[in-house]
Amino acid sequence: MFYYLIVCRSLTQAQQRLAALERSGLTAHLLRTPKELAEHGCGYSVKIAERNLKGALVALHRAELSPTRLYRIAGDGSYREVAL
Amino acid sequence: MIYLDSAATTLQKPPSVLRSVLYHGQRAASPGRGGYAQALYASQVVYRCRMQAARLFDAADEGHVVMTCNATHGLNIAIRSLVKLGDTVVVSGYEHNAVTRTLAAIPEVTVRVASGPLFAPQALLDAFRRQLPGADAAVCTHVSNVFGYILPIAEIAALCRRYGVPLVVDAAQSAGTLPVETEGWGAQYVAMPGHKGLYGPQGTGLLICGKDASPQPVLYGGTGSESQKQTMPDFLPDRLEAGTQNVCGIAGLNEGLRFVREKGAATIAAHEQRLTRLLARLLRERCGERVKVFAGEGQSGVLSFCPNGTDCEAFATALADRGFAVRAGLHCAPLAHQTAGTLETGTVRASFSAFNREGEVRAFADAVCGELKK
Repeated sequence: MFYYLIVCRSLTQAQQRLAALERSGLTAHLLRTPKELAEHGCGYSVKIAERNLKGALVALHRAELSPTRLYRIAGDGSYREVAL
Repeated sequence: MIYLDSAATTLQKPPSVLRSVLYHGQRAASPGRGGYAQALYASQVVYRCRMQAARLFDAADEGHVVMTCNATHGLNIAIRSLVKLGDTVVVSGYEHNAVTRTLAAIPEVTVRVASGPLFAPQALLDAFRRQLPGADAAVCTHVSNVFGYILPIAEIAALCRRYGVPLVVDAAQSAGTLPVETEGWGAQYVAMPGHKGLYGPQGTGLLICGKDASPQPVLYGGTGSESQKQTMPDFLPDRLEAGTQNVCGIAGLNEGLRFVREKGAATIAAHEQRLTRLLARLLRERCGERVKVFAGEGQSGVLSFCPNGTDCEAFATALADRGFAVRAGLHCAPLAHQTAGTLETGTVRASFSAFNREGEVRAFADAVCGELKK
């Protein structure tokens, strides 16, 4: 089971993306960015289920909020960056 | 007590504002500082406020809405971001000390005053047209806090665009009653308090940054983002929001914004302007030569007058004894008094909110006339 994390530079940027996804009827969650993934320390991310990823990327592109950093997270916590 | 000092702060708030402050004081933790429910809830509260403000004040997006302590805080950020040592800045003749003192604190700044008589927008535009060429920045109030004079800000903004001069707008007396169009005007910054026409609690304010603005922080510290860096983040709103936010106040401001949106800024403005015209008419009709009333076309819910032969501060104190709260003196805007010719005397100022009623205005006019007959 995988999920995806859109890593954002700020809380507000994460909230903007979350709001855009909700407007498109997609469920997503706000959470603190795992320390390993936070580029310069603290930050926030948007968590998306695997089945919603394609729709989420389309919705974010439409809202001019395309992610710059996206990670695929596995059930055991391992991750890999997704090329965008 | 009849409160007529809403240009200073709206004392009477919608009940939802006060309820929200109390509610969030018990439930909202620090936004942007944790991943637990109460911190995320606080973050949502702040974000909702940004969303409402972005829509009301024509911001590029929610990220360009910065939470401040008051309008002065926002003006300090805006002016210190734009104006550098040796710059030339154009201001209107109706600016508050929040603008003029901030400019005076920057070394070797030349201030050009675009001045014109009260309630004469064309003369003011002509003055801006003369002063803007070659300037580095312009700062202009939307409404005079002393006289309620609504300045032709859209036209001034157009002139600034034409001459390539970045504009800062002080919307302290207009936010909540008049259209504030940050992107439409092409303004670099628009600063406003939360506690006046937006009916939020004191200690709240908003700075709307234009999409091309490059703001510099006046406060440095934790933002909950990019914590390893020892410089402030280069993105908004974090760049300008160091330290724990006033979440209870912001929650109250969010309800104040909702109140303005639901009631309609234009409806509130029309109500206040009706009260202003009524008071001007009553004072002129009933007090005659004993009072000088500053009223004209294009006036907001603020009215100044001078009681002839009486010190304005003493007069306001006498009115307070009769149960009326008004402000007297220079109202922190000596430049506006210099422009209007009232620097020596000051004025007595009555200012209205959505909660004032016609009966209060009539009672106030009775009191003013009664004092003048003493």
